[in-house]
Amino acid sequence: MGGDQKVGRRAARTWGSNKMTSFVAEASRALRRIISSPISVMEVCGTHTVSIFRSGIRSLLPPELRLVSGPGCPVCVTDQGEIDCALSLLDSGVVLAAYGDMFRVPGKSGSLASRREMGFDARVVTSALDLIEIALESPSREVVFLAVGFETTAPATAALLLEASQRRIHNLSVLSFHKCTPPALAALSSDPELKLSGFLLPGHVSVILGHEPFRFLADDGGLPAVIAGFDPEQIMAGLVEIALQHQRGEARLGSVYGRAVRPGGNDKARSLMDRVFVRRDSCWRGLGPLADSGMALREEYSEFDAERRFSLAPVRGTPPHGCKCGEVLTGRIFPPECALFGTGCTPASPAGPCMVSAEGACGAFFRFYRRNGGSRCV
Amino acid sequence: MRIGLGHGSGGRQSQELVQALLGPFYERGIGPELEDSALLPGGYAMTVDGFTVSPRVFPGGDIGHLCVCGCVNDLAVRGAAPDFLGIGLIIEEGFPTEELSLYMESAARTCSSLGMRLAAGDTKVVPSGAVDGVYFSGTAFGKLRRDTPLQATNIRVGDSLIVSGPIGRHGAAIAASRFNLSVSDLESDCAPLWPALEPLLAVDGLRCMRDCTRGGLGAVLCEWGEATGKHLSLEEASIPIDDRVRSLCDVLGFDPLYMACEGCIIAACEPSEATTVLQLLSASPLCAEAALIGEVTDGEPEGMVSMRTYIGGERLVDMPFGELLPRIC
Repeated sequence: MGGDQKVGRRAARTWGSNKMTSFVAEASRALRRIISSPISVMEVCGTHTVSIFRSGIRSLLPPELRLVSGPGCPVCVTDQGEIDCALSLLDSGVVLAAYGDMFRVPGKSGSLASRREMGFDARVVTSALDLIEIALESPSREVVFLAVGFETTAPATAALLLEASQRRIHNLSVLSFHKCTPPALAALSSDPELKLSGFLLPGHVSVILGHEPFRFLADDGGLPAVIAGFDPEQIMAGLVEIALQHQRGEARLGSVYGRAVRPGGNDKARSLMDRVFVRRDSCWRGLGPLADSGMALREEYSEFDAERRFSLAPVRGTPPHGCKCGEVLTGRIFPPECALFGTGCTPASPAGPCMVSAEGACGAFFRFYRRNGGSRCV
Repeated sequence: MRIGLGHGSGGRQSQELVQALLGPFYERGIGPELEDSALLPGGYAMTVDGFTVSPRVFPGGDIGHLCVCGCVNDLAVRGAAPDFLGIGLIIEEGFPTEELSLYMESAARTCSSLGMRLAAGDTKVVPSGAVDGVYFSGTAFGKLRRDTPLQATNIRVGDSLIVSGPIGRHGAAIAASRFNLSVSDLESDCAPLWPALEPLLAVDGLRCMRDCTRGGLGAVLCEWGEATGKHLSLEEASIPIDDRVRSLCDVLGFDPLYMACEGCIIAACEPSEATTVLQLLSASPLCAEAALIGEVTDGEPEGMVSMRTYIGGERLVDMPFGELLPRIC
C-alpha cells in the first residue's frame, strides 16, 4: 500500500550519514562566505519550519541571514472567522471531523478538543476518506469534514467528494476552507515593508503545482525562489542557491528537490481539484481577504457543501486579544517579539494557532529554540 | 476542567494531572515519591500500572505480556526483583474467553521466565460498551537488591546518561498497526529488563534509572532536568534509533524522542562508571545497542534538555505536550 512504499523509500535513505553532516557544514561555510550584508529569506512550508528547528539549522546560519517563517502552516493561516464558523457547527449536533492539528486551535467558544471533552462529537481523522466510513456508520447523523490546507490536502478532499457523490452518501458534507498558495506569495512578495530577498518554496505544494505558478516571484517580483525538500541538506542547499542568486543580482526559479518535482506538477491531483473546486476569495489570518485564493465546491457538488447545507456564512474573525499570529506568519515579527509568547501563550494554553499547531512558528520556537520571551535560548 | 486524551500522553499534562490527583495525599503528608516504583519499609518496592493498549495484539507482544513487562521494568529500574504480581481485569460483556486465555497464557509465560509468582488477582465484567474489550491492571512487589536507593535526586553535574537500547520501538509498532502501515520487521521492544539490569545494581556510581514508557526518552530526561534543576546535554548522533522507527516517525510527523518504549531504560551514572555500565548492559542481548548519549552539565539552560543535532546544530528537547497517540500501553 501507499504508506508502506513511502516508509520503504525513506528507510532506503541513509539518514544522518557522515556525508549529509559534512554537506551541511560545507553549506554553512558557503553561506558565511557569500552573505556580506543582511538578507531575509522566507520559508513557506510548515514542514520546512519544523525541519529547520528540529535539526537546529538556525544555529548554523550566519547572523546576516534572517530566516522568517511564512504562511506555510495550514492550520495557522485559517482565519479566526473560519475557526469560529466550524466550532459553531458542533452546536447543531453534527459529527465534525478534522485533521488532528486543528484540534487545539482556540476559537471564540473553546477548541475542537475542549468541546470534545464537553461531549460534542469532534473526531480526529488521518485521511479525508475516513469520512466515508464515519458517515456510513451513522446514517441518521450529519457528518461534516472541516477541510483546511493548501494544494497538498485539497486533492484528498476532492477524492472524498467524488466518492461521496458516486455512492450517494447524503449525510456527508464538506466545509471547505482550502487555500491556494500562489496568491499569498504574491501578496507577500509585493509588500515593501517585508524587504524579502528570496523564497524557499514548499516542496509538497510544488509536487502538485509544478514550477509555473511560482515563476512570477522571480520573473515579475525579481526575487530568487527555490523549491526545496525537507531534509536539512536540501534546505541548506536551497538557502545557498538563494544567497548566490541574491549576491549576483539574479532572480530565477530553481529547484533543489530533484526528481520529486516535475516542472508540470501532478496532472492527476490538479484535475481532481479542478473537477470539484472553483476558486473564490478567501480570508487568511495575517493577510486578510485575498482574491481567488480559496477553493469553494463547484455547483455540481453543492449538495455536499456544508456552508449551504447549514446556511453558514463565515465572516472575517477577530484574533484573540494580543495574539500576533497574523504578524508572525507574514514574517513581520519573530514569535518571541509577541508580548504573549511564553507567558500568555504556551503550548499548554495557546492564545493563537501558531503556538498550538505542530507546524506553527511560535510552537517551533517554544519547543526547539527559545523560551520565556527569548530570555533563555539554546 | 475535564480530562482530555493529552492527560494520558505521559507528557506535561499527565504530570499536571498526577500532581492534582495526589494533592489530598500530599496535604496529609502521605503522598508518594514520583519514581517508577515506590520503596517500602523493609527493603521492598511496589508499583501499579494500567494497560489499555490498542490493538491488544501487536508485533512483538500482546496486552498480557505487556502487563508483566511494564510492572517488572518499573521494579527493576529501582533495583527490585520481580517477586510477586497481581493482575486485575476489567472485561467487556461479550468478550471471547479464548482471547482472554491467550493473554493470560502469555502473561504466565513471561512471569515464569522471571520466576515471578502471581500472588493476587481480580476480575470485573462491565456491560457492553463500558470498556473496549479488556483492560489489564498490574501490581508488582519485589525485594530490593541494592542498599542505596536509585532516584533522580542522586543526579550530579558530570553524570553520564546511558540509554539501554534503540528508542521508540513500542510506540512505532503500535502506530504502524493503528495507521495500517506495514513496516517489515518492526516490532515492539516490549521485554522484561530485570535480567539485564540486575548486574548494574552492584555499580556504586549508578545514580538513577527510569523506564522510558509513555512520553519516551524525551519526557524522562525533561523530568530529570526539572527535578534536579540541572542542564542535560544530548548528542543526537549517539542515540540509537532503528531506521524503521525513524522512517515511520518521518511519515507520521512524530519525534522518535517522544515515542514510547517498553523495553528500554535510561540510566544516569558517575562518568567514571560509564564504561562499566555500558559493558554490563551490552552483555544482555536486549541491551546490545546500549549507548552513552549525553551528560548532566552546569550549563544553560538550567533545568532543561538540549541536544546537538546530527548536523551539528543546537535545539531544545522540551517536555512533550498534548495527545500523541492514545492507548499506547
